[in-house]
Amino acid sequence: MPARKLYFETIRVGDELPALAKAPIDRVQLARYAGASGDFNPIHVDEVYAKSVGMPSVYAPGMLVMGMLGQLISDWARGGQLRRYHVRFIKMVWPGDTIVCKGRVSDRHGEGGRYFVEVEIWAENQKGELVMKGQSTIQLFYSLEDENRQRAGQSPIVIEVPRESILSASSSSEEADEDDQATASGSKKTPREKPAAKMASAPRKARK
Amino acid sequence: MLDKNAIGRASPPFLNEVEKGLIRRFAESLGDYNPIYYDEEYARASGYPTVVAPPTFPASFSSAADLRELLGVGIKSLLHAEQSFEYERPIFAGDRIFVSTRVADVLERTGPAGKMDVAIIEDEGRDEEGSLVFRARRTLIVRAAKENP
Repeated sequence: MPARKLYFETIRVGDELPALAKAPIDRVQLARYAGASGDFNPIHVDEVYAKSVGMPSVYAPGMLVMGMLGQLISDWARGGQLRRYHVRFIKMVWPGDTIVCKGRVSDRHGEGGRYFVEVEIWAENQKGELVMKGQSTIQLFYSLEDENRQRAGQSPIVIEVPRESILSASSSSEEADEDDQATASGSKKTPREKPAAKMASAPRKARK
Repeated sequence: MLDKNAIGRASPPFLNEVEKGLIRRFAESLGDYNPIYYDEEYARASGYPTVVAPPTFPASFSSAADLRELLGVGIKSLLHAEQSFEYERPIFAGDRIFVSTRVADVLERTGPAGKMDVAIIEDEGRDEEGSLVFRARRTLIVRAAKENP
């Protein structure tokens, strides 16, 4: 039997996603990921090569860890549809590292019968250091009734749910967040993702 | 500084056939055993037409792009700084997805180690009807190979 599904009506801003502790990364996993992804960059699979270019050993491709963080989202949002998924790679991940994936609901909103939750997600290594952070947008049915109606070809349940951002209250003075603050009163919504402008800024610490 | 003329350079669409076996191996390599990636019946009972691909599966897609050609420089090293995906719909086993790659931007940023060259590469996946399936955006820090005098 498929697992229970997640519905918009039960989600609250600030809800935490159940943390996902992954098994320690080893070189076999790096080889498996290389084979599955088709990315055979020797820096991730060839120890001799990695040392020859000054690395202490091979290291994990960022996309492997992004895949793990993707599991955190998909495990939590059963029945939902992933719309957007963005990460910044912050720290290298080495064989022997154990990744723990965490997340928290940062916003929820609905318009015209479509419902979305925004989650902040991040990955830490076994020392509690932040190795990756990002955001994701997931579309959900409002409720089981909404899903049943839509699957029967009827119109969705329509409830207007304005954005309810907690980002402005709890994060540092980064540009994108100030924009959120400015628009939290409900005028035009500002996309949070600004890949072109954000990279040079110092990585923020994941909030505990 | 990378060549600004690279912006807009693109590769022609390249066909990727989404195979059930590769979805399974990809999910296994992540250590992700969600049955929607492995079990057709389970996937159908969960409301999908067949086995689904994990969110980062587009990372396995091939494209006709050669970054050296697109950027017009020899590349000494690439550092993957950011990645994003936008999804129009999930990707399913049996999908035939045409992937094209373009240089969305090249720019210079100042980081802790001084100035660095940044390339933003966008992949777009469309199905056979031409409908958008996903967009992926990579931010790469590029160290160009030193030219020989």
